Amino acid sequence: MSTPREHIIKSYDDELTRLTGEIVRMGELAVTQLEAAIDVIERRDERAAQRVVINDDAIDHMEQEISHDVVRLLALRAPIAGDLRNVFAALRIAADIERIGDYAANVAKRSIPLSMVAPVTPTRSLGHLAELAAAEVRSVLKAYQERDAEAAYKVWKDDADLDDAYTALFRQLLTYMMEDPRNITPCTHLLFMAKNIERIGDHATNIAENVWFLVHGEPLTKQRVKRDLTSSPDMEPPV
Amino acid sequence: MTDPAFSPAPAAEAAMVHAGNGTPAPAKITVRDLNFFYNGFHALKGISMDIPEKQVTAIIGPSGCGKSTLLRIFNRIYNIYPKLEAKGEIVLDGENILDPKYSLNRLRSKVGMVFQKPVPFPMTIFENVAYGIRHHERLGRAEMENRVEQALRSAALWDEVKDKLKQNALGLSGGQQQRLCIARGIALKPEVLLLDEPTSALDPIATSRIEQLVEELKADFTIVIVTHNMQQAARCSDQTAFMYLGELIEFDKTEKIFTKPNKKQTEDYITGRFG
Repeated sequence: MSTPREHIIKSYDDELTRLTGEIVRMGELAVTQLEAAIDVIERRDERAAQRVVINDDAIDHMEQEISHDVVRLLALRAPIAGDLRNVFAALRIAADIERIGDYAANVAKRSIPLSMVAPVTPTRSLGHLAELAAAEVRSVLKAYQERDAEAAYKVWKDDADLDDAYTALFRQLLTYMMEDPRNITPCTHLLFMAKNIERIGDHATNIAENVWFLVHGEPLTKQRVKRDLTSSPDMEPPV
Repeated sequence: MTDPAFSPAPAAEAAMVHAGNGTPAPAKITVRDLNFFYNGFHALKGISMDIPEKQVTAIIGPSGCGKSTLLRIFNRIYNIYPKLEAKGEIVLDGENILDPKYSLNRLRSKVGMVFQKPVPFPMTIFENVAYGIRHHERLGRAEMENRVEQALRSAALWDEVKDKLKQNALGLSGGQQQRLCIARGIALKPEVLLLDEPTSALDPIATSRIEQLVEELKADFTIVIVTHNMQQAARCSDQTAFMYLGELIEFDKTEKIFTKPNKKQTEDYITGRFG
């Protein structure tokens, strides 16, 4: 997408640029939170986990600031056309990032009881799942920053890979629980954590849809392949 | 005022208006209990407000609410008509400008005004700007040329007229004429600039240029703008006063007025429910 011409009133450009910057910073903070959450699981560090939980307040605070800036822009600038889509998308993307932050904090919170029982092997697979989700969020933030609808569409499409990894981990966890009832407690926590991370991917696809709308002015109507099969009645652990 | 629900903003409330960053901005103009009469008609009723220095203050309200009247008292333009009377105080830099002893010449050099319709003098572009300066100061040719250039630059007009300074100003477009009038006003180096509907005769591009200019000029001037265009008040002012039937209903930061006004009648007006 080519860089749009500047507004005659320069402070309008400054406000819109600042809004994009705030969104990107908020998104980067959410990804950092997710990575920190995975790190504390591996280190079994309760205090660090609590810090991740507390840090979620910073993301919530940024969302409030963005909401305030959006209301201000709507009231004082009365944006239209591309500017309106820009402001509208910013509000929606901020809400998605706020949820991503919540999920990262939830993962960190569950790492505390998880660290109190013996380690189980599937924990490593959770790290892989989180890496996929973090890469997805980073890519969609870049697409947003560069107003690149095609890059956003790629993220939206590739979320199927995260769904695949989640489904595989789900099967793996079921297997571990069936093998030994002592695995049920850690594996249940891991199941919830995996679901949280899978949801982060869904929010990244929401962001991608908003980038598409921002650029093209129409919704992304293509059919997305959903590969999270864990709610299927056929889902059973591998024999 | 027939509706008892429409109560004016108390003076204390108006005086609490501060700059956008939360720190109190010093008042350039303080209006205290101002009442104005047109041949006995009570046009302004007990107006009290602080107009902060080097900020843009917008005055909005339906036709006949007294907003232009208030603006015109700030440079005592009403003095040219008989049977008009202002009571109360308007304190500019510590002195009451309504005091008959306050020289009109001095006041007009401190408080410049630009009107709704651009009114360039029928003379060259250069002379339009130089005319007012000559009235107040004696400058050498080089110095005068410098002053005219500075004024035209400040009014964001220099690049468009620098090669035709000797052409008649009436040949300029409406937007250029209005910026020329602003250049003429700021050439005298006033401290306060009053703008009375400065863009109502202009197209949207020329309007945006004037609004951008207002934003730049507030670094050097205290600006008061009267506008029918509420969105213009929203776009380019730091605080907004809403007037109705000669009373100041609400005066607050522009962001506050346009997102969460305190008074119901302000909300009704800015949302198009009356007026």
